Amino acid sequence: MRSLFEWVDALPSSIALRESLNAYPTMLTIHVVSMCLFAGLIAYWDMRLIGFTLKKVPVSNIPTRLFPWALTGYGINLITGALLLYSQPMRYYGNFYFWAKMALMLVAGINMFWFHYATYKSVQAWDQGREIPLNARLAGVVSLVLWAAVVVTGRMMAYSGLMPGWWNNLNIGA
Amino acid sequence: MLQSFFEWMQGLPFSAWMLEETWASPIIQCAHLVALVGFAGAVLVVDMRLLGRGLIKTPLNQLARELDRWMIWSFVALFVTGAPQVLSTALKQYYSPFFWWKMQIIVIGLLFNFTIRRRVALAEEGTLGHWPKVVGFLSIGIWTSVSVYARLIGLLS
Repeated sequence: MRSLFEWVDALPSSIALRESLNAYPTMLTIHVVSMCLFAGLIAYWDMRLIGFTLKKVPVSNIPTRLFPWALTGYGINLITGALLLYSQPMRYYGNFYFWAKMALMLVAGINMFWFHYATYKSVQAWDQGREIPLNARLAGVVSLVLWAAVVVTGRMMAYSGLMPGWWNNLNIGA
Repeated sequence: MLQSFFEWMQGLPFSAWMLEETWASPIIQCAHLVALVGFAGAVLVVDMRLLGRGLIKTPLNQLARELDRWMIWSFVALFVTGAPQVLSTALKQYYSPFFWWKMQIIVIGLLFNFTIRRRVALAEEGTLGHWPKVVGFLSIGIWTSVSVYARLIGLLS
């Protein structure tokens, strides 16, 4: 894995991106704005499942009407995130919060797929005006917590001096 | 006058504590970002509806009423987590043009929201022609500019 990161780090296009004055601020700003689009809409979907808000909106309306926008935000977020990683792979390789964010995104993705291919299949039975099943509410809580943690670990990536002691002892970035 | 106010903020014991305490700034910044997500979602769901997109099967005024309190409380959270950051880096903020642009657009955004946007969102649907679309578009533009300038304070100041 380390050699892959080092190989990308030495690529002329990675160096060019890293040395560009405007690339990093531009990519990071678009990354934050697209995060607002994706995470903002997903947060209200999760809160609808939990029963915090939008209670009069049929549950099945949200995936059909809001997910295309949320996924557009996610796509832009992924592209800008990949470019940020591509421009400074060795900065992120040894960063605990980067790997924590990747792991949390993976778990959030598994939770999302599990929900859509299992719990959501019975949505017609609890679409509107009926109590949302425990499994669906639980999936909402898990998703809300995981995406909030993704946002937090993403912000913490800037604090390379605040990584856990045990992680520093592994000397991964050295 | 304004500069001495920012110098006073920078010199407060709380500002010094924020800078000295290792975890204070990261925790506040993370909370600010989570609040931003809550605010963005509440604004976007209504703005997309104003644009004739998103949850079109739900009456606009119902959505606007329900998400209004989420928007307000998220904004309060943004303010509560944003103020300590301004206090602890007051002089950096003072000399950053992005900070001043951000503040001006926030004021415009709040005035716009509590006057025009709220009135349009709560009005009888279909009575205002193309105005809801104009309002939704402007609202998204205003709050996107705020997040762009906010990000640029940290990156380019």
